[in-house]
Amino acid sequence: MQSAAAEVLDAHERVLIDQAIARHESRPGALLGILEAVQSANAHKFLSMESLRYIATETGIAPARVYSAATFFALFNLLPQGDNVICVCRGTACHTRGSRDLLAKLCLDLGLRDRDLSETGDADQVSLTTADRKFTIRTVACFGQCALAPVVEVNHHILSHVNERTLQREVKALAHGRK
Amino acid sequence: MPTKTISVRIDGELVAAHEGQTILEAARENGKQIPTLCYLKGLSTVGACRVCLVELSGTDRLLPACTTPIQEGMSIRTNSEKLTRYRKMAVELLLVERNHICSVCVSNSHCELQSLAQSLGITHVSYSYNNPRLPVDMTHPRFVLDHNRCILCTRCVRVCAELEGANVWEVASRGIYSRIVSDLREDWGHAKNCTGCGKCVQACPTGALAEKGYAVHEMVKQSDAVTRLASQRALGGNGAR
Repeated sequence: MQSAAAEVLDAHERVLIDQAIARHESRPGALLGILEAVQSANAHKFLSMESLRYIATETGIAPARVYSAATFFALFNLLPQGDNVICVCRGTACHTRGSRDLLAKLCLDLGLRDRDLSETGDADQVSLTTADRKFTIRTVACFGQCALAPVVEVNHHILSHVNERTLQREVKALAHGRK
Repeated sequence: MPTKTISVRIDGELVAAHEGQTILEAARENGKQIPTLCYLKGLSTVGACRVCLVELSGTDRLLPACTTPIQEGMSIRTNSEKLTRYRKMAVELLLVERNHICSVCVSNSHCELQSLAQSLGITHVSYSYNNPRLPVDMTHPRFVLDHNRCILCTRCVRVCAELEGANVWEVASRGIYSRIVSDLREDWGHAKNCTGCGKCVQACPTGALAEKGYAVHEMVKQSDAVTRLASQRALGGNGAR
């Protein structure tokens, strides 16, 4: 978070934010739309501290309010995301079919420390990114696909009845596909 | 001022209230005690702490007195076994959520949470403590923010936005990860919007926001000064229009 805050916003990003603000001008509740547009325009799909500060100054919304909105919604990321996003469902149905083990195995395979996971515990929100920024692992409360449990979403595609081997194969394919 | 008088029953007693008042305001005006934590006269109401719950005949649901407008013919109970049970529960959950250690707190014996717990007869808690590891922000030259003692009543958030107009404070994240943050989670000392007025400190019901230079037991809050300022502001505002 410190390095993100030290980043200086480049001209390109500033233009993107200005455009997003202009699109949502004088609409109530514009902040959410602006944050969403800025995040999706970002190469690493996240909101840097500098962009949040810039949004606050340009819109006249208090920085604390902007930060509050960005942290309240799980949709917004304050840290750079990996190229591939793997989302493990931690809903009840998926939990009973072993999604906790899937998550732990996934973290092991990608070299994400166990401590990272245990610190956030069974929090409803896990978001871990590998050091090479290839993979981000997230959890979700439920995809609404409980009949297909356990469910894992890989880059917005739902995989059903996932076991450790199919998940491993998927991760391997993604890792090679990128090279 | 539009003051249509309406009659209601509070604890069986027939009393007069004004239209537009909340149950809490009407009850306090008539000398009835309803405990509160997140309510501070002069600030907007949020109904966050749930200790001002009252019973309204005709409904099984308990209603927060601070946000429910009073209506003609209401019959309200401000005290019962059921209400005490629920109020105790609410306060116990506040106590287990963070590390409220009164013996080392600047606000010991001047704390709204502590005195409410005492008056409800809470001698122990029936839930397990959460024991979160929380930081203390000492970066401001005059004030301290100790997250361990915060109950997220948002009185600081509201006093800063409504009376000071600086909008320094806000609640970030959600659930048990909720924290009071200044600006973009900067240290308080580096929050550019902060004017250092100290209204948030006076509005804080616990020792979460305190002035530096006070030892255990010494920090007495003046939340009535906030109320006084708010009423002066309200009068001035009406006069100008």
